[in-house]
Amino acid sequence: MPEPVQYRGMTLLVPDNESEWREFYAHARAHRLVVRKCAACGLLRYPPSHACPWCVDLGWTWQEVSGRGTIYSYEIVVHAIQPGFKELAPYPVVLVELDEQRGRPTPDEALRVIGDLVTPDLRPAAEADVAIGRRVRVIFQDLAEHLALPQFTLTDEPPAGRVWRLPE
Amino acid sequence: MTHLRDKYCIVGIGETEYSRGSGRTTRAMAVEAVRTAMRDAGLGPADVDGMMSYQNGDSTPANWVAPDLGIRLDFYMDVLGGGSSTEALIGLAMGAIEAGMCRTVAIFRSMNGYSEVRIGGTGARAAQPVRGLDLAQVPFGMRSAGQNFAPTFMRHMYEYGTTSAQVARVRVAHSRHASQNPKALLKERVTVTDVVGSRWIVKPLHLLDCCLETDNATCLIVTSAERARDLRHRPVYVMGVAGRVSKPRTDFHWAHGPITRVAGWHARDIVFGQAGITPADVDATGSYDAFTFTTMLQLEEYGFCEKGEGGAYVSSGAIDLGGARPNNTSGGHLCEGYTHGMSMVIENVRQLRGTVDDYCPGWAEGAHTYDYAPGRCRQVEDVEITMNLGWAVPSTGSALILRR
Repeated sequence: MPEPVQYRGMTLLVPDNESEWREFYAHARAHRLVVRKCAACGLLRYPPSHACPWCVDLGWTWQEVSGRGTIYSYEIVVHAIQPGFKELAPYPVVLVELDEQRGRPTPDEALRVIGDLVTPDLRPAAEADVAIGRRVRVIFQDLAEHLALPQFTLTDEPPAGRVWRLPE
Repeated sequence: MTHLRDKYCIVGIGETEYSRGSGRTTRAMAVEAVRTAMRDAGLGPADVDGMMSYQNGDSTPANWVAPDLGIRLDFYMDVLGGGSSTEALIGLAMGAIEAGMCRTVAIFRSMNGYSEVRIGGTGARAAQPVRGLDLAQVPFGMRSAGQNFAPTFMRHMYEYGTTSAQVARVRVAHSRHASQNPKALLKERVTVTDVVGSRWIVKPLHLLDCCLETDNATCLIVTSAERARDLRHRPVYVMGVAGRVSKPRTDFHWAHGPITRVAGWHARDIVFGQAGITPADVDATGSYDAFTFTTMLQLEEYGFCEKGEGGAYVSSGAIDLGGARPNNTSGGHLCEGYTHGMSMVIENVRQLRGTVDDYCPGWAEGAHTYDYAPGRCRQVEDVEITMNLGWAVPSTGSALILRR
């Protein structure tokens, strides 16, 4: 069983029988963002789950995705709760809508992922740079031999749709 | 489906002091709250044969509480849960009685939510190992309720133009209501400027957008309408209940939008269908105020205003005492104290009895002035029907409609 990973005062537990996350993190450690693809209907889903929420098939394969997407919503944590995050505050957390499978299978559904918005050297992005509509790409934060966290960083692509941020 | 409408009643209410340091166990507080509710109803130990509670590993189970009160139980159950459990357990208690398992059920919640297991997520909760589904959010510094809910409000601001100043009016209204409530922890009236000028916690939430953390226990007693007729107070009838209704994809509700839609959208047809009424028939609401905007979102979803107009609705004066449909007349979780939903149902029972415990000298006899100036009355005039909108997370909620 792999050792628990210590990260910012948290113990991240991904034991050998962690049938949803263990391989996800192994792919992430190889800097691949993967999601599960249903063997029957082909729809992608995140977070990793055991059955397809649309057709209830149990078969699946890992599917690499581009890791590119658009900020769908966000928050700026000013008062950190977890002690290990206090030195990072204020830090932005983003809900990213990935480019794959937007608006499918129904118009309001999408592959969405939570991550920190960081600079290329993995520090919190500046608050003034965070906005709904801005384009991002995945970036990996290596934490252990068997585990990396997918994070997001801004790209210089033109924004997708209306750009909006919380008024000062 | 109206076959249980008006067949069950809430007949007893009880609560301990709301404090930030009870200095005693959740068992001691639960015993006090259940005993107070039994006395309120006029029930003795032989009259209570069912007990239920909810908790998150932070409380005392029913079978440790009942013996202190000389109660032998024919049915008891302690469930995992926080907000939105209150209404759900009232429905389950009705079901247990309907099934013939017992006759009268005491429902309690007891927590040292400030001094022992902080509801806000600091202390012991922040140190828990992260595994399973928590890995999708917690490693990114997204653990507390505020951190879990904030992107929902941010997206609402983006989609509908809702502002911080609009939802601040929820805090303003609830603080005014708390100023009429001797039990409330925070009785001082605040302004919109106070709210939007308070320090940021997790943008777009300010400190005063967030509820309290509190030590307390609370209890409600449910029995049949037939049994209720002989008891101490005018019965308060359950017209409809929806319990822990969810959105799709509760594993990760962000996947199934619109993320500004919350569970009440799915619950409203259940609860209004049972009750056979519409939002226009409701005289007062108790909409879960873990944060200012959670109240706003639920009022929208249950149809008290159009979707997207919640900011305008809560800042119109409608939710204030003296307004069209006051919300959280006790001050709620923002100002009275945090109880995971119980106190908002207790308050509506008091409203329907006409005996709200305000500063009117004759409140216990139902003599109210309806003067809503500071330090006076908080009884709603001619209140016939109330509704509770219970919230756990954006993707789970409950609802309860009561009448006198």
